[in-house]
Amino acid sequence: MKRLVLVPAAVLVLVALVAGCGGKKKSASQPTGNKGGTLITLANAAPSGSPDPQVNYTLQEWQFLIITHDGLVGFAHAGGKQGTKLVPDLATSIPTPTNGGKTWKFTLRDGIKFSNGQTLTGKDVKATFERLFKIGDSPNAGTWYNAIEGGDACVKTPKTCDLSKGIVVDGNTVTFHLARPDAEFLDQLALPFAFILPADTEAKNLNIPPPGTGPYKWVEYNPTKEMKVVRNPNFKEWSAEAQPAGNPDAIVQKFGLSVESEVTQVENGEADFIANSDQIPADRLNELSTKHADQVHIQTLTATFYFALNTRIPPFNNLKARQAVNYAADRNALVKIYGGPKLNTPTCQVLPPQFPGYTPYCPYTKNPGSGKWTAPDLAKAKQLVTESGTKGATVKVNTDTTPADKALGEYFITLLNGLGYKAKPQFLSNSIQYSFVQNSKNKVEFAFSDWFQDYPAASDFLNILLGCDSFHPGSDSSPNIAAFCNQGIQAKMDQAATTGVTDPTAANHTWAQVDHEVADQAPWVAMFNPKQLNLVSPRLKNYLWSPQWYLLLDQASVK
Amino acid sequence: MAEFAFGPEEEVVLAPGEAAQQIAGKSPWRLAGRRLLRDRVALGALALFFLIVVVCFSAPIYAHHVAHTVVFGSNLNGTTTVNGKTVEVIQQGTGELGIGENPIGPTWQTNYFIGSDAQGRDVMARVLYGGRASLGIGVGSAAICCLFATAFALLAGFFRGFTDSVLSRVMDLIWAFPVYLLAISLATVLLSQTTPIINPASLWIPTLIIAVVYIPYVYRPVRGQVLSTREKEYVEASVSQGASNLRLIFNEIMPNVLSTVIVLFPLMIATTILTESALSFLGIGVQSPHASWGTIIQDGQELLYTRPWVAIAPGIMIVLTVLSLNVLGDGVRDALDPRAKIRAAKE
Amino acid sequence: MTAFVIRRLVGMVFVLFTITVLTFLIFFATPGVDPARQFAGRNPDPTTVAAVRHQFGLDRSLPVQYALMMKRLFISRDLVSYGNQALEVVPAIKAATPVTLSLVTGAAVLWVVFSMLTALLAVVFKGTLVDPLLMILALIGISMPVFWLGEVMNLITLDRWHDTFLFSWVPSNGYVPLTQNPWQWFLHLVIPWITLSVLYIGFYARVLRADLLEVQSEDFVRTARAKGLSPQRVLLRHMLRNSMITFVSLFGLDFGVLVGGGALLTEVVFGLPGVGKLTYDSLQTLDLPVIMATVIYGAFFITIMSAVVDVVYARLDPRIRPT
Repeated sequence: MKRLVLVPAAVLVLVALVAGCGGKKKSASQPTGNKGGTLITLANAAPSGSPDPQVNYTLQEWQFLIITHDGLVGFAHAGGKQGTKLVPDLATSIPTPTNGGKTWKFTLRDGIKFSNGQTLTGKDVKATFERLFKIGDSPNAGTWYNAIEGGDACVKTPKTCDLSKGIVVDGNTVTFHLARPDAEFLDQLALPFAFILPADTEAKNLNIPPPGTGPYKWVEYNPTKEMKVVRNPNFKEWSAEAQPAGNPDAIVQKFGLSVESEVTQVENGEADFIANSDQIPADRLNELSTKHADQVHIQTLTATFYFALNTRIPPFNNLKARQAVNYAADRNALVKIYGGPKLNTPTCQVLPPQFPGYTPYCPYTKNPGSGKWTAPDLAKAKQLVTESGTKGATVKVNTDTTPADKALGEYFITLLNGLGYKAKPQFLSNSIQYSFVQNSKNKVEFAFSDWFQDYPAASDFLNILLGCDSFHPGSDSSPNIAAFCNQGIQAKMDQAATTGVTDPTAANHTWAQVDHEVADQAPWVAMFNPKQLNLVSPRLKNYLWSPQWYLLLDQASVK
Repeated sequence: MAEFAFGPEEEVVLAPGEAAQQIAGKSPWRLAGRRLLRDRVALGALALFFLIVVVCFSAPIYAHHVAHTVVFGSNLNGTTTVNGKTVEVIQQGTGELGIGENPIGPTWQTNYFIGSDAQGRDVMARVLYGGRASLGIGVGSAAICCLFATAFALLAGFFRGFTDSVLSRVMDLIWAFPVYLLAISLATVLLSQTTPIINPASLWIPTLIIAVVYIPYVYRPVRGQVLSTREKEYVEASVSQGASNLRLIFNEIMPNVLSTVIVLFPLMIATTILTESALSFLGIGVQSPHASWGTIIQDGQELLYTRPWVAIAPGIMIVLTVLSLNVLGDGVRDALDPRAKIRAAKE
Repeated sequence: MTAFVIRRLVGMVFVLFTITVLTFLIFFATPGVDPARQFAGRNPDPTTVAAVRHQFGLDRSLPVQYALMMKRLFISRDLVSYGNQALEVVPAIKAATPVTLSLVTGAAVLWVVFSMLTALLAVVFKGTLVDPLLMILALIGISMPVFWLGEVMNLITLDRWHDTFLFSWVPSNGYVPLTQNPWQWFLHLVIPWITLSVLYIGFYARVLRADLLEVQSEDFVRTARAKGLSPQRVLLRHMLRNSMITFVSLFGLDFGVLVGGGALLTEVVFGLPGVGKLTYDSLQTLDLPVIMATVIYGAFFITIMSAVVDVVYARLDPRIRPT
């Protein structure tokens, strides 16, 4: 997923290799901590998009939705590796599918109430999924949930959506009939899109999430001021693993402060946490490191920051030109821009470390062979540029306007000019840069982007970002920014995807090969894998980091 | 309360050292020139302004010969010598966690005199280069602005009626239009061009935007001056003599108005410099690869708590430049005081 | 006079209308800004984008979209932001207005009081060192970019000297409503007030001083002194009154601009959620509904104060006939 909208979605049921909690502090996996108090979090801006839980696609809001609502299944509400396991939530157990993976029978637990006092029944489940289609703008209704029988028809005529065939309700038993087997079905059920809402919820975008079954309930959603959840009096813990009772009595997220002020407030203890969508400013890092080191947690992330080289227009439709830039790029310098080697690791390839299918590989360094990047090879780069015959070509270096990303762009402008190109800056506002570079009509030769895992599967990086089917010419929605399509590599990707259903180890072996071959083709200048820096207040205890949902807000203890 | 230092008998309009006989019969412009030359404070300000201009325009000399640095490229891995030791320009953070990367602070030597910015560039050299852009845009837009505002004001004030109504409403429109919106949209539109027709980094863009935005500001007082001059007896006399409109405008009204514009000009340069820095600070003024004092202050924002000089130095330059222009403007206005009376203090 | 007022009102409506049309067109000329795409979130289905486009009427013709937006803004007042659908534009501006008013009114009080004081002192002590000293201070004040001064103030009061008795009382950036906690409201605004007023104190002190000096060589002052009136009385009752024309008219214009969101930079630097900051945020994300609303809000204040000032000026200076 793109950074601003972190969508840590599914975990392949069969594969559970996870970027674990590589943080500075050892986190307990079991929830503990004292109850009471208000957890104060800060964010520069409210989550973008609609607040409706079936529409919102931001981790910022999802961190709240996972404690106000529940799905039939969910990711374990725990830190570390445990947090990536699927456990039954509103259902009593995770069923084994029958009928070739097309029929899933869930039994709802008894006596679960919504925050408005209504009791949860199977009716609510069916209505929730029908609403997904009825509201019309749920992002994945037509790609994920249309696997349910009747889903395709619902996409066509959303207002009259009827899933009676696909979701059969019998008291507290809910049976899903899928039109085709879906290996990721359970993961999709564990995401907020599929969290269960009361059956009478209006089928239009709401300005505050409706009542849910979780330990907290929404009381305020004011995008210019704050969003707030408080304890749900109707909640009784039914599974400490899936949905434990929370520690704070209320959790609030205040909007509008500059990130500098947010840092000051959390350092002083006036607030407890800064939302991960805000990047800690570079000039405070030293201060944190010297005076507030015990309030800082550094977490490994499975993400890659890169520049996409447009493989369809000059000069980077030429392989040698692409490789030249890769050889010339000084990844140490790039790491410096983003906060130094403690917060970033240089990389030459697409997959991040500790990811399924990852084996270290870096051809674009002096003395290659170890798989690690050590130093740029400028001589080789210049030689390749000459051989490619692309000298003098114009290159638009496109990034967004956040200072660090602009700095990356400026570094590359210097570099490309040094190689003999005519590099020009094209710094666009964050809100338009991502869709702008995806559109091939804009002919961007060199575009900045990043990608965070949706779920730990190599296809999530390689196929989504570099697969032939991910390139949609002339569309604002074409995640394959490099417009890369290599038939041989694509065939290998398809093969790995099929093998993965039955033999994940062999599949990962193939994915590793794909990763290396892609690196050789150099559609990207892969730069580095970042780490997440978290600053918490002195009073915050029981810091639990889930690779899926990041900081578990309700488990933090402020008393 | 002290006895006032003036009284109705004393004249404040004779410059010190001037006697009535010396100024009798001289044209008002020559008088103004003489007065200005006698005004030491104003001359000092003029000298300061010129000094700043000269220093900034010799930026390439400073960068090349004094600081030995290239100012427009990334220099993240650069090194420099401080007190004989070689140090990295951008150093890894200290402390328990070792996070962050810090540019070096002021060395107070020829190399990185006031330190480096986040890209490893010599800030002093950049400030000088930035001065070229800021001064160029400031003077250019002030000149364009005054030119057009005067023309419009002459037309509106002289012809009044419909012309005046239309022009004044257009001026209201321009004045009410948010400059930031115009600048941001233009910057975005130009940046998004697939094949650049207009260079989005051209310095003409902020120059013209700022010029247009301040036309109403100059228009108002000049138009007021035109209106009141129009009513004066000598203009009526000219009219009764059968003077044509053009002659009236150029011979009778313009000289009067010109002094207002001349006083306004340095003040407008001051204003445009401040506006350019504000727009560049917001990222919608001067664009990469150029630098201006405003963009450097923006660079300095990210470093404010660790390397405040990056933000402070360009600010000081702005203050000095604008201050000198304001003092000069005062001096020009004092020199041109239209109420110059010939009665001497003692006679 | 009535004819003048009516003509100016009509002119004002025309100006506002033209500005909204221009803003609307400018926004649509900005490529890469597809509100439907922005609404639809990250990596949406093409069908989702199309559905969103239709839902929000973004596939209609430009004049229709303009009319719809104006209707939503003024008549039904349910216009929502493109960035976050829970953000209703009119309530957002209503909520931001008290913040801007607090900032601007406080600063205005400061600058009127101190500029008048400075000007009077400079005139009284003309010929001594006090006059040029005050004027240099005033000049320095108007020579500082306000956002830079704000940053420097932040640096000093919140970081470098925050631990000293001088500035330990300075709270971190933000705003506390007057109704919620008057003392905190005050504390949060002190440094912003000073920062914003520094520029204007200098400017108005100079303007007033220049006008006072000009008036002082007038005949009626000589008459007043000849009548035997004390210098103080002459200064305050006769000279000041007659020197206020420019001061008042400029004040009206500046106040109008500031209330309309002109204190944008101060609000951004100090984290005050006023109209200026709302404008700035919406410009960063190219959020047209909010931009449109803030532009209209600002333009309204500017044009109305401009008309008011013209009336006042005409009444005070009979040489100028209102047109």
